[in-house]
Amino acid sequence: MAIAGVGQTPYRRAHADASTGDLVFRAVSEALNDAGFDRGDVDAVVAGVAPDALAGVNCIEKSVIGAAAPPGAPFFRVNTGGATGSSAMLAAMTLVAAGRADVVVAFALERMGQAVTSQQVFNTIFDPIYEKDFVLTTITMAALRASLLMARYGYTERHWAALAARNHRLALKNPLAHLHRDLTVEAVLESPLLAWPIHLYEACPMSEGACALVIAAGDRLPGRGPVAWVHGAASYSDSYAMGDRFDRPEGTLVDLVTLRRAAEVAYRQAGIADPAKEIDVVEIHAPFSSAEVMAYPPLGLCTPEDGPAYVDALIDGDAGGGSGGGGPGPVVNPSGGPMAANPVSATAMIRIAECALQVRGAAGDRQVDGARRAVATGQGGATQFSSACVLAAEPPGGP
Amino acid sequence: MTDTELVTVDGVWNFQYRYFAGETASRFFAELRDERRIVGRRCPGCQRVLVPARSWCDRCFLATTEWVAVGTEGVVEAFTVLTAAFPGLPEPPLAIAYVTLDGAGTALLNFVDGLDLADIDASAALLLDRPRVEVMFHDERHGRMTDFHFRLKD
Repeated sequence: MAIAGVGQTPYRRAHADASTGDLVFRAVSEALNDAGFDRGDVDAVVAGVAPDALAGVNCIEKSVIGAAAPPGAPFFRVNTGGATGSSAMLAAMTLVAAGRADVVVAFALERMGQAVTSQQVFNTIFDPIYEKDFVLTTITMAALRASLLMARYGYTERHWAALAARNHRLALKNPLAHLHRDLTVEAVLESPLLAWPIHLYEACPMSEGACALVIAAGDRLPGRGPVAWVHGAASYSDSYAMGDRFDRPEGTLVDLVTLRRAAEVAYRQAGIADPAKEIDVVEIHAPFSSAEVMAYPPLGLCTPEDGPAYVDALIDGDAGGGSGGGGPGPVVNPSGGPMAANPVSATAMIRIAECALQVRGAAGDRQVDGARRAVATGQGGATQFSSACVLAAEPPGGP
Repeated sequence: MTDTELVTVDGVWNFQYRYFAGETASRFFAELRDERRIVGRRCPGCQRVLVPARSWCDRCFLATTEWVAVGTEGVVEAFTVLTAAFPGLPEPPLAIAYVTLDGAGTALLNFVDGLDLADIDASAALLLDRPRVEVMFHDERHGRMTDFHFRLKD
């Protein structure tokens, strides 16, 4: 099967000029037009929407079914926190693989621009009995991991700042990104400290928008335009309690056990033995620069111990050109990643959409020359959910 | 359309809840309030003592069977210092840490004091070294996680 179409609204702090239905209508219409299908071809719809309180509307997806497909299509909502968008894609794939649908629209909707503040909402996703009192939010949960990475592997505050500056610079070429900031490492380090060691410019913004994918069975695709073939995709879950993930054989809180399993399976399905050499583009779902490094070892880009050196090489590789292509191995985050736009429900789907555009050679100014194979990650629920999705220009088994 | 004044409608979510802790956490809180003890539950499979207490082990899928009082000292596993104010959250600066208490197989989260939070970098440097901390029980206890906090050992 393949991703036959991609549709994205721009991602902005708020789309005050658009209703929720407008956002979904635009993204889904663009994806269907891109695929050469119309709404009558849609067999099922999967909606990705993360916590309702971000938009302040309960079950907001119910109100926008009509923007995606005609009445009658089976409809499912998926929510795995930050991984919602990739989980929606995997659910859509599962419907196709099971023979229950040939053409599925998966859309992910984020309306958090309506929230006056998000951290208070994010505090409510944590356990109210044992943990919520201790200012757990998306920022502090990321900061707990960042400090552990520093203690364990020797990352420094400068690594976080340099990676943030790199992602923001790459986003300058992405018109869909919410933030377009050309920042020096010093400027990042001088931005306000949110929760040690995370500074404001090392944290994702609040963004809203919609992303849509058309997933279609291979036998529905002959004669259509270039598509992004799915070569491998997997998603795994982990134990909930963060405190249970320090002392255990499978890996600590910063080892992303779930992403390691997902990448292993997706690579095996795709026949990839040496990911650092065989993959051209990586889109990592990391809303904080410090979170990005946790994905490198599971993706096979470096060992955990070599992480700081890998970051240094990534930064050095950008020196001069700033295209993101001079580093070791694949190009990481040509879109700028979630640092420049984080519409929570959609962010993991955007990684897949960006990889689809890359392997089709349709990524505009952010296109990586000669990209044929790409991997997208999804990450959610306090590193509880991970997915990996390998896309390529050629169908599995060759053209 | 371009001249249309965009309408926004104000809203607020303010629902009231009563969160049910269940029998196991309720006993954990009673021990904390009445006995100034931190207790966990031992898994008969992996022998881990789960702290805070839970009724089943999600590694072995067995019901935990035994109450165990763990130490009132332990080691910092991970930490952060919240430095920015966010609407609806407590006033910063606040240090939090996951701490594995002596005898426990898992870590629990709470505030840490005994740090000079006027100097964030120095506090962070101390906490990066995985220091030992002790449990400070509050004089007034209500059977809540906030009945204690951690204090850096000298």
